[in-house]
Amino acid sequence: MRDFSYLRANSVDAACQAAALPGAMLLAGGTTLIDLAKCGVTEPETVVDISHLKGLDTITVDDRGVTIGALARMSSVADHAEIKSRFPAVSEALWQAASAQLRNMATIGGNLMQRTRCPYFRDPANFPACNKRTPGSGCSAIGGVTRGHAVLGTSEACIATYPGDLATALVAFDATVHLGDRQVAADDFFLLPGATPHREHAIEPGEVITAISIPASAAAGRSTYLKVRDRQSYEFAAASAAVGIEFEADGRTIRDLRVALGGVATKPWRARAVEEALKGKLLEADIVKQASLLAIEGAVDHGANHYKIELAPRVVARAILKVGETA
Amino acid sequence: MTSKTRIPIQLQINGHRHELEVEPRVTLLDALRDHLGLTGTKKGCDQGQCGACTVHIDGQRVLACLTLAAQAQGRAVTSIEGLADGDGTLHAVQAAFLEQDAFQCGYCTPGQIMSAVACIREGHAGSDDEIREYMAGNLCRCGAYPHIVAAVRQAALEVASSMETAS
Amino acid sequence: MTVHEIRTRQSESKRGDASDGAIFAEAVGGRLSRVDGPAKITGAAKYAVEQQLEGLSHAVLVESTIAAGKVRSIDTAAAESAPGVLLVLTPDNVLRLNTATDWLGTPPPDVPYCPLARDITFSGQHVAAVVAESFEQAVAAAALVKVSYDETPAIVDLDDPKAGDGIPVDTMTKEWGDAQAAFTAAPVRICAAYNTPREYQAPMEPHGLIAHWQGDRLTVWEPSQWLDGMARTYAEWFGVPFENVRLVSPYIGGGFGSKAFAYGYGAVAAMAAKMLGRPVKLAVTRPQTFTAYGGRAATRQTVALGADAEGRIQSIVHRGVNETSVDGMWVEPLGSVTSIMYATPNFSSRQNVVRVNTVVPGALRAPGENPSAFGIESAIDELAYEVGIDPLEIRLRNYAEQDPEVKKPWSTRQLREAFAVGAAAFGWSKRPREPRSMRDGNQLIGWGVAAGTYPVRRAYGEAMVRILTDGSVEVESSSIDMGQGTYTILAQTAAEVVGVPAENVVVKLGDSRYARAGVTGGSRLAGVMTGAVHKAATAALDELVGLAISDPNSPFHALQANTLVVSEGRIRSPRGDGPDVSIAELLGSVGREQIEAMGDTTPATWTAEDRYKNNTTITMALPHTEGDYSRHSWCAHFIEVRVDEDFGTVRVSRVVSALDSGRLYNPKLAESQWKGGIIMGIGQALLEEGIVDRRHGRIVNNNLADYLIATNADIPDIEVISVGIPDLHSSLLGGKGVGELGIVGVAPAIANAVFHATGKRVRDLPITLEKLI
Repeated sequence: MRDFSYLRANSVDAACQAAALPGAMLLAGGTTLIDLAKCGVTEPETVVDISHLKGLDTITVDDRGVTIGALARMSSVADHAEIKSRFPAVSEALWQAASAQLRNMATIGGNLMQRTRCPYFRDPANFPACNKRTPGSGCSAIGGVTRGHAVLGTSEACIATYPGDLATALVAFDATVHLGDRQVAADDFFLLPGATPHREHAIEPGEVITAISIPASAAAGRSTYLKVRDRQSYEFAAASAAVGIEFEADGRTIRDLRVALGGVATKPWRARAVEEALKGKLLEADIVKQASLLAIEGAVDHGANHYKIELAPRVVARAILKVGETA
Repeated sequence: MTSKTRIPIQLQINGHRHELEVEPRVTLLDALRDHLGLTGTKKGCDQGQCGACTVHIDGQRVLACLTLAAQAQGRAVTSIEGLADGDGTLHAVQAAFLEQDAFQCGYCTPGQIMSAVACIREGHAGSDDEIREYMAGNLCRCGAYPHIVAAVRQAALEVASSMETAS
Repeated sequence: MTVHEIRTRQSESKRGDASDGAIFAEAVGGRLSRVDGPAKITGAAKYAVEQQLEGLSHAVLVESTIAAGKVRSIDTAAAESAPGVLLVLTPDNVLRLNTATDWLGTPPPDVPYCPLARDITFSGQHVAAVVAESFEQAVAAAALVKVSYDETPAIVDLDDPKAGDGIPVDTMTKEWGDAQAAFTAAPVRICAAYNTPREYQAPMEPHGLIAHWQGDRLTVWEPSQWLDGMARTYAEWFGVPFENVRLVSPYIGGGFGSKAFAYGYGAVAAMAAKMLGRPVKLAVTRPQTFTAYGGRAATRQTVALGADAEGRIQSIVHRGVNETSVDGMWVEPLGSVTSIMYATPNFSSRQNVVRVNTVVPGALRAPGENPSAFGIESAIDELAYEVGIDPLEIRLRNYAEQDPEVKKPWSTRQLREAFAVGAAAFGWSKRPREPRSMRDGNQLIGWGVAAGTYPVRRAYGEAMVRILTDGSVEVESSSIDMGQGTYTILAQTAAEVVGVPAENVVVKLGDSRYARAGVTGGSRLAGVMTGAVHKAATAALDELVGLAISDPNSPFHALQANTLVVSEGRIRSPRGDGPDVSIAELLGSVGREQIEAMGDTTPATWTAEDRYKNNTTITMALPHTEGDYSRHSWCAHFIEVRVDEDFGTVRVSRVVSALDSGRLYNPKLAESQWKGGIIMGIGQALLEEGIVDRRHGRIVNNNLADYLIATNADIPDIEVISVGIPDLHSSLLGGKGVGELGIVGVAPAIANAVFHATGKRVRDLPITLEKLI
């Protein structure tokens, strides 16, 4: 880890100013920044510690939805009674992420800034080529070990998977990211790699995530997060789905449906085609399974990750049926 | 407070105040082990992937390897050395680990125990499956898992009954 | 603080654990809780690299980023001028070291040994090292060392077209009858290939050391499964007498075969310490643990079984291959279970090793037996389906009543009992034969069985036992406890023999200044050391009783007894008449400080050189087929899996294993080791695989987030049942091996269960979801 200066910010404004300094990086939970600094991926000149800022960790729930302060810990949000009852997919995505210790450290804001787990990205000493780290240097993953890499949203420059769970739920339920006064839809906050994989988030220098908000909806209230992985716990998703459903009064016809995928794409992946295909339809296994295939429209594999193309629609279908069949 | 070289920090560890001067990049884990000689907290991976360095900060279980020592200033740190009572009486979780033989080599054990204490406190020891999930962040290569579950289950019951007695 | 100063609550658990009828927890065979437990649960146990030394400096390794080629140049300028840097080591400024004798006792060639490479044979090889005042400074400076290479094509793995067929290992060839002809003539034939990937020990404590020179004396604090073997290596590297090197390893955070040797990084640290004249600590990073020493070699086997229509095996033809490194030799004996598990009149097993650009592979829990069992125990399951009989029945039908290879009787083989007891506890009789016949919602359920075995590796040992002034007993040995329970079972042994409570026994291990000991590996330590301690304690007791009878100042002197009884730390006559005094009182009255006795199980004819070889090589070990018997531990695993039919994910939901390790010195601790082996086997079956980037010949999942070992959430309750009986052909006190046994047969039991669940036979470990989806 390269040497750096340490600065404790005592206000959001101070944090914004410090964050705009060249080489400055914000430190909240530390689970991404310190990890990547040890890997040699990030080399901050100045670490701006915002973890002690007051008032940024509140969780406010009202009829319109929930607003979560950027410094709220993943564990606090996961265990929050009203989030469990009104946004179960959010709670489930959180408690299935990482480990209890990491969830006690990581903040919601920091979680949105989580970086990919691509092994080539994480090992600059052995793999100098990485367009995400060094624009124009090439992609070491393409042609390499790709079992964990994305099949959706990839480009010739980058196939790195977005690893997070929470954001998958956030894009499913139309959450908003608050950057002080500026607001960005969660779906827009995460950028496709395209030719610029080093740009991952729609956040500008000097901006700080202050909160996220999730609008209340019937679909969010009847939702789940299904995560499939090799290991039962403490692992990133092979494929996951955040799904919410709202029925018509008959209790069988789908009025509203939200579907987003994790673990298979370069960003949290909203599957609107699946949603549209099933709105107005009855919740029947065959129909759901057929429509779920739309989740991987346009998918491209790189050999070892081909299974994700098979797996993802099955995860989506299971999640829809599970949440639909839950009384 | 901005410095690339050593900075003075004060840490509150197991109820004792420690003054030290470290580079900002020194992690809480290395501060404990190398600077303060508190080696009960273990370094298994140094990258947040094993749980051996689990300590409590303000009562919450966290990983010392991904926490800067400077970040912990102003917070209360508890490590395995501070878990037993001052008179040496073991915490219920420690006693249960011994009784259930919930460890072999012992290297992941301090982290397991710190994690288990928090797991019970959080209310995540309600069933064996819940214990397994909420203890999954502490790897054990000797494979003591079933005995760890038994120890957490036993300690959770003891903690619950002692709280009933107290109330 | 030592273990024994904080013996908190130990007596409570003792009371609660008395079991096995009349056996007290404290005696051999009792369920005494770990005596080193209090230190481990309070954080007081100081592991090797946790020693706090004045003037300690920190070393960090720089590793090669290519798999084959030459180092063209190393630019150390930036590193050398970085803050706190004391020394940058490269092949250009190393001390000249000697090549050391290997563990097989092979005399070393008279060529220098350089732990930093110019010729690169694998990715991750040490090429330089940086020593600095602080760990952080060393890490940062190591990143500034710029190495340039002339890269040449690498052979990346067994599948590399350049790898070829490899080198035949004639010593692995085992043949009787005419296996090929009998196979061709057999009415039922199956033949399949079984593969295991590179697997890693991944102990929770990474490797490392603190090296400290005082003159020409070297002290090394290093986690070690073999203090004396490693001390010899350090001594020979640096050309100092063996006695000048002290290894200290009080606790070991897991080894699983990986901590028996001194490796290159040890030479680097000791060299740096010598050059700097101050102690150097080198902690191998977690990613470096994948290349600083070797894990289990990747293996390939083909198993051909010829049988009659009732499933009786007529012939086994087995071919195996394991990878080794370009310049080192590792043989993973793949025919070891194949040749003894089942009776067959015709047998052929041969093995090749293939050189690839990897670190030389090494021992990982049950080397040889583990992959060997995956082959034969999968194959016999396939044969069961081929002939249409139950997988348990086919194993009984081919039960080997004697060792089929050496044609000697088994010393003990409780495998039939293991099958019977395990099957009953598991409910095997309720198993429907057809695959895909049990389900629970989306989960397909399957039941599988497999057997396992491990040879009884015997060696000679010695120990020191002292009876101290206060009546307590001290045991000393340079053997170690890495979680198997050595501290505890040796306390039990000494307590039982001398006649004192176990809490009055202090066991000191892990320091090469103590009575010398050979390797801890191959499940030999418990048998060797309980025997040695038994002998030493008996000698100490004899001297104590002798003093009590014959010393003129003894209160028993007037009694003119032939013998006396010592129990609970007190001395009495057998009839209970006369004095009743504590050991301390007796020693006081006869004016003795202590009684000290060395004991050993070594032949009386041995010279000092023989003892040296016994403690620093494996050349003096006894073959398990020596004399009239063939000696092995045995087990049977019954495992239930649940496979998600859509996702292909496999979870183990139930395990019942019945195991024959002979007599158990402490069942509580033996059960823990068995379960640990089973759990590692679950990981091996479903998760563990070193994944090579074939363009670079480099392991890319070299960390604990990507090299997946089982978590708590992956493991169900596990029932282990001991079916062993004392085997006095195997050890002085009747035990066989424990630690290696449990893992053997787990992976095939799971693969067999997966087949039963899904109808898909997976012959390549691990059984990941894409293989079933």
